[in-house]
Amino acid sequence: MIGVTTSVSTAVGQRVRPGTGRAVLSGVSRALGTGLLMLAIVAVVWVVSVLVVDNAFVAKGPLDVAEYLFDKDDSAQTRATILDALGVTLGDAAIGFVAGMLVATLAAALIVLSKPVEATVMPVALILRAVPLIALTPVIRLLFTDTFTRLAVISGIVVLFPALVNIVQGLRSVTPQMRDVVHVYGGGAWSVLLRVAFPSALPALFASVRISVPGAITGALLAEWLVTGEGIGSLVVNAAGQSQNNLVWACVIVVTVVSLALYTVAQVIESLVLARYGQR
Amino acid sequence: MKLSRPGARGARLSAVVAVAAAASLALSACGSSEDDATGGDEGLGDLTVQLSWIKNAEFAGEFMADSKGYYTDAGFSSVTLNAGPGATENLVASGEADFGLTNAVTVGQVVANEEAPIKIVGTTFQKNPFTILSLKDGGNIATPEDLKGKKIGVQDGGNALLFAALLAANGISEDELTIVPVQYDPSPLVNGEVDGFLAYVTNESIIVESQGLAVTNLLFAENGLPFVAESIIATDETIAERPDVVKAFLEAEIKGWKDACADVEGSAQYAVDTYGEEFGLELDKEIAQNSTQCETLINTDETAENGLFTISDSLLEQNLTTFEAAGIDVAAEDVFDLSLLEELLEEKPELKG
Repeated sequence: MIGVTTSVSTAVGQRVRPGTGRAVLSGVSRALGTGLLMLAIVAVVWVVSVLVVDNAFVAKGPLDVAEYLFDKDDSAQTRATILDALGVTLGDAAIGFVAGMLVATLAAALIVLSKPVEATVMPVALILRAVPLIALTPVIRLLFTDTFTRLAVISGIVVLFPALVNIVQGLRSVTPQMRDVVHVYGGGAWSVLLRVAFPSALPALFASVRISVPGAITGALLAEWLVTGEGIGSLVVNAAGQSQNNLVWACVIVVTVVSLALYTVAQVIESLVLARYGQR
Repeated sequence: MKLSRPGARGARLSAVVAVAAAASLALSACGSSEDDATGGDEGLGDLTVQLSWIKNAEFAGEFMADSKGYYTDAGFSSVTLNAGPGATENLVASGEADFGLTNAVTVGQVVANEEAPIKIVGTTFQKNPFTILSLKDGGNIATPEDLKGKKIGVQDGGNALLFAALLAANGISEDELTIVPVQYDPSPLVNGEVDGFLAYVTNESIIVESQGLAVTNLLFAENGLPFVAESIIATDETIAERPDVVKAFLEAEIKGWKDACADVEGSAQYAVDTYGEEFGLELDKEIAQNSTQCETLINTDETAENGLFTISDSLLEQNLTTFEAAGIDVAAEDVFDLSLLEELLEEKPELKG
């Protein structure tokens, strides 16, 4: 529905519409506002839950974690450990993100082109999503021997399903009239997909990107706990098992803040690109 | 402007998840914060025990104490046995459980590194059953030297600490082998994904052997790391303010384990039929486990003299040597408080026999 005509005119004319600057600005400021609001909510929830739990050994507040990270003898060491692990996790999340989005986009294109593909792919995607990854991991371990593939599969599965559903819906938002225009000019199903469907699916694509960023991090954490034994996913589970509660909280906070930041970045990029394509 | 909707929903969703996580944390804490001390006239209130493993014959004594009513005889109004494995030290320190079953090295590390307010008040196993299990036709790890260059499956959390201690005690660096994260199911060992697997000689070792595979065990206790296990921990607060609760619990435990070891098959049967029903345990394996632990880990010459759950001075010394070998910097009084057990055995010497 959204701006099919404008997207075509952009594709043809490559002219940026007037008012784009304002759209970008409002998009960016909205993204940042959402990010800050989420940060505030997390902080409030954190402080309140620590007050409610009221046990200094397990429930560490912002001050405890700040002291642990900056004011102890081995704080520098701790920070280095967490940052190293974070680097690994972000790398793992990137692998899962790329794998999941690629598969989702390809599958979505095939689904839109062919009914039989939809009938085969959708149930499989649904099953992958419905079965808890913990239960699926032994199978993934048996099927794939190499760590990179295991990572891509586990983290990718988390990304795959929401992205797939979103993109398929976006691709289907082409109106019959638009389809007819392409057909009249001699274009086939592929042309419809490439020239009309993908541009009009951009909003959906970016919505999936945004949702997939935290999803990919979740997937990476899971994969690290279950398979690789590196990164924040492993660090946090080990720390919990060893009652290193400060470290647990520090890891959770770092991952949360980074997820929020990346989510906000995705939102900013989204508003930039959509403004460029006149979708906003 | 339809575009803004998925975004708003995404934001709300992540906030909801965060809130739900925090709420569940808060709720679980609320559930346990009702103090057990307010148990009424004579009673000691409700009892929650955090086990170190699923409900199999490893806890035959606890099952006996529960089904024969020793806990209620001792004054508790109800008993909840929570299956593990989990972060036992955390669960006890945070008040989720009154008592927990764990081992001396994990407690030592948690006390040394995190100043956890917990202590060991008695121990079921005089020796620890931890082992690096390997297949005779595979890794065949019989000495610490054999670990080098191998892939060893180690579970996250407390077991990772134990493995680090084993390496430290034998002067092996982590770089000399590969640690593979595994869960507690020994199938990665059987299918060859790892050469060795951190396990209990009384559990996984028997399970793998029962599949017709010859196994090799590298016992922690015989390779620089003798320490007590299935040890009972309580918080400093419980020990100081509710000593009668600790003593009552120890009394029921001693009675339960006496019965369990006197009737190895019957108490294993309890694990299979009642407490661990959901796990589909095999009776033969549970009986084997129970008799091995009763004969080699729980009953020793020293317990015959001093009573079950006691830790002799020489055994305590061994544990401290283990701490030193593993690089754990704690004093005995930071980890062990056996005074209540001694008091109990003085008051009721019949428990010794």
